[in-house]
Amino acid sequence: MKFSLCLRRLAGAMLAGAIPLGAALLAACGGERQGPDVPAASNIRVGTGLAADQTLRRALDAMPRTLDPSLLTDVDAQKVTDDVFEGLTALGLDGSMVPGVATSWEVSADGKNWVFHLRPEARWSNGDPVTSADFIYAWRRQVDPKTGAEYAQALAPIVGAMAIATGHAPVSSLGVDAPDPLTVRIALNSPTPYLLFLLADSFMQPLHRATIERWGDDWTRPEHWVSNGPFVITEVVIGNRITLEKNPLYWGAASVRPTRVIYYPLETLTQVGRFMAGDIQFASIFPNSQFKWLKSQLGDQVVTGPYLGISQMEVNMLGPPFAMSHDLRLALNLALDRTILANKVREGLQEPAFSVVPPLPGYRPQVPEWASWSDERRHAEARRLYAAAGYSAAHPLRVQLDYPTGEDNRDVFDAITAMWLTNLGAQVEPYNEEFRVLLQNLRLHKSALFQNSWIGDYPDPFTFLQLFQTGFDQNFSAYSDPTFDALLSAAAQEADPARRFRFFEQAERRLNEEGVSIPIMYYTSRHLVKPYVKGWQLNVQDRIVSRYMYLLEHEGS
Amino acid sequence: MLKFLGRRLVVAIPTMLVIATLAFGLLHATPGGPFDTAKRMPPEIQRSIEAKYHLDEPLWRQYLRYLNDLAHGDLGPSFQYRNTSVNELIRAGLPVDAVVGSLALLTAMLVGGLTGIVAALRRNGFWDHVPMFFAALGISIPVFVTGPLLILVFAVQLHWLPSGDWRGGEVRYLLLPVIALALPYTAYIARMVRGAAIEVFTSPFIRTARAKGLPTRTVVLRHALRPVLMPLVSFLGPAFASVLTGSIIIESVFGLPGIGRYFLTGAINRDYTLVVGITVLYGALIIAFNLLADLCYAWLDPRVRLQS
Repeated sequence: MKFSLCLRRLAGAMLAGAIPLGAALLAACGGERQGPDVPAASNIRVGTGLAADQTLRRALDAMPRTLDPSLLTDVDAQKVTDDVFEGLTALGLDGSMVPGVATSWEVSADGKNWVFHLRPEARWSNGDPVTSADFIYAWRRQVDPKTGAEYAQALAPIVGAMAIATGHAPVSSLGVDAPDPLTVRIALNSPTPYLLFLLADSFMQPLHRATIERWGDDWTRPEHWVSNGPFVITEVVIGNRITLEKNPLYWGAASVRPTRVIYYPLETLTQVGRFMAGDIQFASIFPNSQFKWLKSQLGDQVVTGPYLGISQMEVNMLGPPFAMSHDLRLALNLALDRTILANKVREGLQEPAFSVVPPLPGYRPQVPEWASWSDERRHAEARRLYAAAGYSAAHPLRVQLDYPTGEDNRDVFDAITAMWLTNLGAQVEPYNEEFRVLLQNLRLHKSALFQNSWIGDYPDPFTFLQLFQTGFDQNFSAYSDPTFDALLSAAAQEADPARRFRFFEQAERRLNEEGVSIPIMYYTSRHLVKPYVKGWQLNVQDRIVSRYMYLLEHEGS
Repeated sequence: MLKFLGRRLVVAIPTMLVIATLAFGLLHATPGGPFDTAKRMPPEIQRSIEAKYHLDEPLWRQYLRYLNDLAHGDLGPSFQYRNTSVNELIRAGLPVDAVVGSLALLTAMLVGGLTGIVAALRRNGFWDHVPMFFAALGISIPVFVTGPLLILVFAVQLHWLPSGDWRGGEVRYLLLPVIALALPYTAYIARMVRGAAIEVFTSPFIRTARAKGLPTRTVVLRHALRPVLMPLVSFLGPAFASVLTGSIIIESVFGLPGIGRYFLTGAINRDYTLVVGITVLYGALIIAFNLLADLCYAWLDPRVRLQS
């Protein structure tokens, strides 16, 4: 979902000059640090009872391009569908997977065959029962090339999905079936422990066949809308708002407190003003550069946490100067002062990254040994490697570093190239390019050194390591290593989750030794939340659903 | 008069054709397509989507198809917003920009025009220097500063007005965007009117009028006003076309569902039809308002004859 992330920050960055940076770059401050106790712009007193008006006002980074769960491509649309649909599994309060339409499930010993049992009381918003056929219909629609779903490959772990999506097999051959209205069976190509996460994704949510067949593409219009989640869509004004109302027929409706949720698509900077004026209660993002200033103004209303994504650079392994020079790749890696980038340039908003996989439960971070060295030792080793690669003051490395325009990240790349110049004498020129232009160049492997930030689709190391797998579409570095590939396939065949992670850890170590990736920072989710909004927790996927939220009595806004 | 109108309308057609062709060509020449995402989709799916939007056809055929649709008033489907036509987007967004834009320009004309005339009458006095100082500020401070500033003062600090949003033209929601948009226009008009007024006030026919002993009010309203308004008219034509197609900044700062933002988001998303559609609309409005301005000219200045 990297694409929408780039776009959503663009407009904000364009306007970012408007509000002055409140504070100077003084000291590093941790993401969790408390701000001043009396924020200037928020004299809000919060009571203990529920507020009479349970209307949630949330922001989206941009207007979703579509609300059809099969066709959506942006995280904004996903936020809305998370509220209006429910898959076999659903997102819990803490972001873990909880039973959704399915109440229980079993998996075969080899991890490839799953059986899900549906709750009989599940209903569509028009009163029809939710049955296994609704899931089968949605999944077949997703992989059917005729549907034109851009992310059809999200279903790739299911038997036959890719053969159907590439037009080599009929839609009916998808490895799913419904022996009765309350049972769904799924056959997988290989053990896929993250299936439970996939099932909660938009692409695997059920669809109401009769509605879609009756209205065609128009079914997503509010007047025709039918869904099975805690809310339904009642109003869509492009560029302004999407209104959801509570779905009284949702099986869990008794525990859903918001009566209405209004999503406003707003540029990053606009969200800050709206939030401070009290017109929205939950901002989806704020500008990186305003972190300290906002902390000083809003204190605890500024909320940040780890996000399943990494900002990294990659080198081109097809030609000079990097393909043949292992020493040079490592030299660039070692010469980077990541803690300065994270703590000074980003004011502690983000975590330094030394390796491609962000922290995940049960997974051991593969931090290279040199990460703990002193700056002097690390710089000295970087210089030694740089010299060994044949570069010197008289013959410096000259290369261009390509990165996408507008991700509010120019300061970081300026700092990086300055570090390489100071620590090595390398003359790297930062060059920003519009996202789609850069993407085309990367696909043609035209760029020698480039940023390739990546947001994981599910909390699993595979989604990050896959970027370096031979033959993978987005392997823009064109890295191809039999040892690395063998470790990934070994993991794919492994049914035991712990042993599977050990293979990934080995693969990641191999990647670190090769120095193909130059990790910079792990992303952070960042929100502004009013103190009277309760019933939410941060999670690494940054999918915070409205169904658990509620508003407390409060004075001021 | 009719002959003049007819001639101008005939010239407008090739102009529109050039605008549409240039916009279409430039947009299609930019690298990357509307359905390029970081995750590459299977080719069969790509083909299926491209076929749906006729992107699989040769460019000349897409162009002819577009022109044909355009001639029938159909601006085509939006690529960015699936299952939504460009006509629909414009129908929904144009009224928002029309209301905000025309209110802002009317305010600017009234306030700016009056200030300019008063400044010219009190040349080099207090009522000249102070308003002109603010006019200089108004011209030089961009809307992306004044907009957030207005929000900061009136919405965040004072809580008098909402910080944005659109509720079908409700006045509370209109005030801030209209003021923010009106400010630079007011300042510009004030300076322009002042300059024109000074020139007119010192011209022989006004001296004659004064020499005849007419009161200032009569001199200004009956004799000076029309020639003073001349430069304003030529400025207002394109200005109206511009505010009607929306201001990207005003729309994003105040969260208005207008069409100005589509210039930006449409171009980023390679939404060919949306950008070309809005460009064509903008071109048509400019032609229409320039024509209107010329008609006003003839009415204001008897020396202007509506020939070509």
